[in-house]
Amino acid sequence: MKQYINLYLLEYAINSILRQKSKSFFIVIIFTILVFLLTSVFFITTSIKSELESTVESLPQIIVQKMKAGRHYDIDVDALDNILGIAGVSDGVARVWGYYYFENAGVNFSLVGLDEYEKQYKDSFSKIVDDFDSAKFSDDSMLVGVGVKKIMSKSYYKDYFNFIKPDGGLKKVKIGGVFDAQTSLESNDVIVMSKDMIREIFDIDDSHATDLIVKVANPKEIPTIAQKIKLMFPDTRVITKDDLKISYQNIFDYKSGIFLALFIISLFTFFIVIYDKASGLSSEEKKEIGILKAIGWTIDDVLKEKFYEAFIISFISYIFGVGFSFAYVYIFQAPILKNIFVGYSQLKTSFELPFIFDVQTLFLVFLLSVPIYIFATIIPSWRIATLEADEVIR
Amino acid sequence: MIELKNINKVFEVNKNNKVIALQNINLSIDDGEIVVLKGASGSGKSTILSLIAGLSKPTSGEVIVDKKHIAKLPDNFASIYRRDNIGFIFQKYNLISTLSVSDNILLPLIPLNLDFDELNSKLDIVINRFNISHKKDSIVKNLSGGEQQRVAIARANINNPKIIIADEPTANLDEKLSLNFIEQLKELKSLGKTIIIATHDPLFFGLDFLDREIAINGGKIVL
Repeated sequence: MKQYINLYLLEYAINSILRQKSKSFFIVIIFTILVFLLTSVFFITTSIKSELESTVESLPQIIVQKMKAGRHYDIDVDALDNILGIAGVSDGVARVWGYYYFENAGVNFSLVGLDEYEKQYKDSFSKIVDDFDSAKFSDDSMLVGVGVKKIMSKSYYKDYFNFIKPDGGLKKVKIGGVFDAQTSLESNDVIVMSKDMIREIFDIDDSHATDLIVKVANPKEIPTIAQKIKLMFPDTRVITKDDLKISYQNIFDYKSGIFLALFIISLFTFFIVIYDKASGLSSEEKKEIGILKAIGWTIDDVLKEKFYEAFIISFISYIFGVGFSFAYVYIFQAPILKNIFVGYSQLKTSFELPFIFDVQTLFLVFLLSVPIYIFATIIPSWRIATLEADEVIR
Repeated sequence: MIELKNINKVFEVNKNNKVIALQNINLSIDDGEIVVLKGASGSGKSTILSLIAGLSKPTSGEVIVDKKHIAKLPDNFASIYRRDNIGFIFQKYNLISTLSVSDNILLPLIPLNLDFDELNSKLDIVINRFNISHKKDSIVKNLSGGEQQRVAIARANINNPKIIIADEPTANLDEKLSLNFIEQLKELKSLGKTIIIATHDPLFFGLDFLDREIAINGGKIVL
């Protein structure tokens, strides 16, 4: 029984690639770079989008902030009792938190106050409370995110950290543990400690909180309840989950625009290469097709051989491009390109791009590269192969 | 048997420029015959060979080989006809210069996907017959003109075709190598092959083993 794949034809195709070493090498290099760029752009956007989606999912339904002349001030905790009286409000928490600027490393830490006995307003905080002994984030201890731990260690704060209070005094807090929450973009810069310690560090008295979180039983009622809160406390800013989603999305879309430009440039370059390839064959290549036809190869044989050639070149480039992109994005954490997205990283601790195996992305890059290249190679070969052999070899 | 009936071939260079290559050619060649088409360059000899090999189609007329209308064959069938019946020795050999001797000789067999042993035995037969076995792994571009021609002859015979066509086979050879080629033709004739040679080399004229010499001039057969 004859083999389905003609191995001699495959061998001829490989030989043909090797005979044109420099040309084949050049195409593989260009192709690999383009696949690498395309895949990297897709990988980074997919990773960051997933980070943002999970962050947005965990956002509070309503945040109430006290405003004075457009500036955010601490809010009276008593306001929460009034808000809880609004029909449809199921729960509320007075949050005590703040950004602490660590000048030595030039980054902001997010300090979050938690009390063990309270119902947590976020699943990730409930998990922290469940996973860690409360002694590790109360009295004189705190829990820190992986990113915070790294930065503190670099400044030789391995077991404790000295916070500078508004009055200039120091608050020494022990590092009780390190947590690794699911969403590193949000949690990397987070420090969890008791509300009392936060109050001390930021000088917030017991009757005030940073803001209020409001939970609504029926999510459809969020806009109405937000409106009622605003009417009840005109000097507050009431932010709903949808408002936050939009602002996150705006940041992402703005950054995506830059990536889109990069993506278009890569695609444009790729199509120039493809156009060049499709626009014609060299006289050597034409003659070779003519010779093959003259000695008895059919058009199908010629096209099969050209298909093998194009497939080998494009598939190898695709594998290299995707492989390099994997290493670049997930092992080396996309230097340069990641900074385009996380442009505010100077004020935020670094985060790691989470590994997301997205078959759709790989398939999309495959479709955008391999079949297009194969068609671009086969079409001019087909044009020559369908001419009279005599005309081609003369 | 090869028959050319009322063949006309016109090449259209552009809309206003047409070249008449062949006019009303009628020719028949019996199996096992060795025929020389002689004439000056541009007389139409090569065009006749192309038509017989199915490399091009006549503008009008019929090319019949073993009762098959070659000019009417679709492209893929014309290729198969060439592969099974024709061994073509081109003037400039038309070898793939960056491939080895054996790879060049085996080229016509690649689409057939034969067993490795069968392929090798066919190769051994032709490289020994045409005295090129010592060069079988050499790259063609490194060979002399005579050696390249032997590779071309070996390739033309790898499929054991019934018809051998040679277009100006000695145009790039010196006299000694040309005489060698003529000896090889004798051998091919002894194998019962039909041989058609287009040439203007006087060495071919009057050879005792030739069956016929046909003079071509201005696209017409000159009696």
